[in-house]
Amino acid sequence: MHDPDPRILARAQAGDLSAFEDLVRTYQADVWRFSYSFTRDRALAEDVTQEAFIRAFRFIRTFRGDAKFGSWLFRITRNCAMDAIRARKGNDERAQRQPAPVGPSDPETRAELNAALAAVSEDHREPFLLVEVFGLSYQEAADVLNVRVGTIKSRMHRARQAMMSALVTEEDIGGL
Amino acid sequence: MDCSRSQAALSERMDGEHLSPRVTAALDQHLAGCSTCRAFEQRSYRLREQARFSVAPAVPDLVGPIMTAIERESQVRAPARTRMRVMRSMGERQLRRPLLRTLAPAVAALLVGAIAGSLLVGGPFPEPGGRSAIAAAAVTRGVASAASKLSAYQANFQITEYHFSTDVPVRELSMNVWFEAPERFRLDIADHTSYPSPGFTPTDLSLVVNGPTWYSSGPAPCQFSRCPQKQTVITHRVPFSSTTPAPTDLVLPVTTLADANQLTVLGLGTVLGRNAVEVQLPFERARALFPFLDLGGSWRPFFPNDRVVLWLDASSWFPLRWSVYPASGLERDQWALRFGLPEEPSKRAIFEVSALSVDERVPTPGTFTIPHVKTATDAGATVIDLADASKQTGFAPVIPGTVEGLDLYRVVLPPAEEQPKADETLITYSKGLSWLKVGETRSWSQDAFFGPVGFHAKQVPLSNGGIAYYEPASVDHGRRLSIHSAGIDLYVETNLSRDDLLGVAGSLPVRGIEIPESWRVRVAPGGVTERVSLAEAAAQLPFALLEPHHLPAGYGLASAELVRVQDRLGVNVYFQQSDADLGSGPIRFHAEAGQELPPASAASQSAVDVRGTQGRWTPDRGQLEWVEDGVYYSLDGPGLGLEDLLAVAGSMGPLDPVDRGGAPSPSAPAGAGS
Repeated sequence: MHDPDPRILARAQAGDLSAFEDLVRTYQADVWRFSYSFTRDRALAEDVTQEAFIRAFRFIRTFRGDAKFGSWLFRITRNCAMDAIRARKGNDERAQRQPAPVGPSDPETRAELNAALAAVSEDHREPFLLVEVFGLSYQEAADVLNVRVGTIKSRMHRARQAMMSALVTEEDIGGL
Repeated sequence: MDCSRSQAALSERMDGEHLSPRVTAALDQHLAGCSTCRAFEQRSYRLREQARFSVAPAVPDLVGPIMTAIERESQVRAPARTRMRVMRSMGERQLRRPLLRTLAPAVAALLVGAIAGSLLVGGPFPEPGGRSAIAAAAVTRGVASAASKLSAYQANFQITEYHFSTDVPVRELSMNVWFEAPERFRLDIADHTSYPSPGFTPTDLSLVVNGPTWYSSGPAPCQFSRCPQKQTVITHRVPFSSTTPAPTDLVLPVTTLADANQLTVLGLGTVLGRNAVEVQLPFERARALFPFLDLGGSWRPFFPNDRVVLWLDASSWFPLRWSVYPASGLERDQWALRFGLPEEPSKRAIFEVSALSVDERVPTPGTFTIPHVKTATDAGATVIDLADASKQTGFAPVIPGTVEGLDLYRVVLPPAEEQPKADETLITYSKGLSWLKVGETRSWSQDAFFGPVGFHAKQVPLSNGGIAYYEPASVDHGRRLSIHSAGIDLYVETNLSRDDLLGVAGSLPVRGIEIPESWRVRVAPGGVTERVSLAEAAAQLPFALLEPHHLPAGYGLASAELVRVQDRLGVNVYFQQSDADLGSGPIRFHAEAGQELPPASAASQSAVDVRGTQGRWTPDRGQLEWVEDGVYYSLDGPGLGLEDLLAVAGSMGPLDPVDRGGAPSPSAPAGAGS
């Protein structure tokens, strides 16, 4: 994820809505995808995305560049997603009625990967998504998850091992 | 390099992390001969390909809805609130008025007559007619006077905790408390929460204090769902020990309400069928009402400025109900984001403790029996008769002329930190929940104050013409002072008032003198500090020293020190509260020559306008920094808000003449600056 133009960021921090709109345009896809990776629900991911940008707008004056803007935004998004998931708890039926994820790749690969992702723990899934899917550095992922870089290193390694193990199992089952 | 390390290094390399040449070479050498790791690498890249092109479905365009919502938000957003406000509906206010007329005489005596005092100490609840209900100072006086009268107590409470975790939004616990003067205490917490899986460890806790023996059990605090159980027994503890304490604020909040700073009286009402006073104070100040948070198990986090609303029995001053409400404002929102907490409206309680029954019956025999455990730790205090003290130590301990009506409790030889055993005595006095300790040694050899008194303690005069070095009460210690004299060092610690402490110290047959020069200088790896008066600091600094002319309520100058780091000379000035350092600790003001702020050192720093220049605010540390006329300044006030510190910074000006010229010098004990 690239950094925003500092001039646009500064204008947005000063309250310029058109500058903030530029930031929304730049980051909305990543934020929505990140939300979706938590919620597995398109509509809920849209709600989370909207709420994340509203919170970002509320706090953008406090962003001082100590972490990358993208990491900061993802951190807010993650918290919004957690809130949304918490609010959804108790309505498992709705979760079960979710439509299957739709994507450009072939359904078989997608199913395999979704199953593998579901097989790893949340501690390992989050860094995996941040680093592998969204291309964050270890430091940026550590900033988002509020853990040490060393933790990201070890979790990434274990996440890969767990994903491979799950994929092997899927392949084995498919081959029976 | 083995396969595990090789695959970890491969993982790092493919994620763009830098590997040292040595690790890179070792990795490549291993890969050349290991088909397993080569397969790991190939499959990792295949996994990446799958993940990057498979996980993400088509993305909707959300710019329009988001900007519509933000425009709406920006139009309705109220100006940032910087002051904590008590929100109360008119209906509640009207309901409260008749209660005033039905109060018991004990409460009535504390009513509107105390308006003047309440204005000074921080806010009575304003009645519609402009009359005050009860002064905050009257509450603290009431609690303090009740302390020495209480001989026994037992109560049970219900605890409700919200937002413990995503999976456990609400927890229900019960708490039983027993007390018998002078030093018997028991606290049991039982967790009744229905957890979603057996992976959770219930927070079942127990603490028993029975004179010299202290017992605790419960799950050790940990970040995992299954936490190991821990049992601890300490024998031969020092009376009223701060390391093995009895958290008696649950019985009577003597520590929490040690002074009236930041304490607001909200009103009067009825709780558990008793006339009650409702007060409010910041969570950090009220920590002593939540001792179980530090005892073990897992608990939700609290923001230092979350509001604690506490109902006290208006006659006995027992705490009957206390609830934590989220503070409002940006800093709290940012803090909550860090902990992954859901949105917590400021009017909805996030933690509630409610008494179901409270009485002063003597607990049944066996209540304070210490459970048997295999191993116990001996704290090493030896109980002796006062009459035998001189045989044990070679000197007759000094006795204060007044102990404010307390009774002699226990005399002990505290554990010696170094062998051979030091000649040290500790005489303790108590009555009800009030206590007093007088420690003494005749062979003090350390370059520091004797007793639990820190380097920055304030120099105070005593009525016997001597001086002492004083520190206010904290969560861990009572109010205390240290007295240094030729061949004798003493400390006095108590939960009585500051005036009582000074009265006891002034009645000692020892005249305190200035600390030796060697005590004033401290050498640390990074530099040297020297305790001086403000005037001495101003004379040596290469820039004009400013000092604050406004401080938060209750604060005053405690001490100053010059700081030498390599060839740079700066100053630290400490301000402490007069009665209790609860919630907000001492304020440290630092100044040294400098042209710019040091590099950012925390993630949550923000720019603020300080005295017309751009400064920096670090909420986690309560630190405000700025540069002015070639001098770098910082104000550290843990527990204080930005508004408080900006007010202090805004009041900075030249030293008062008394501090510049007539500043209290080492030979002028009436002052505070040396």
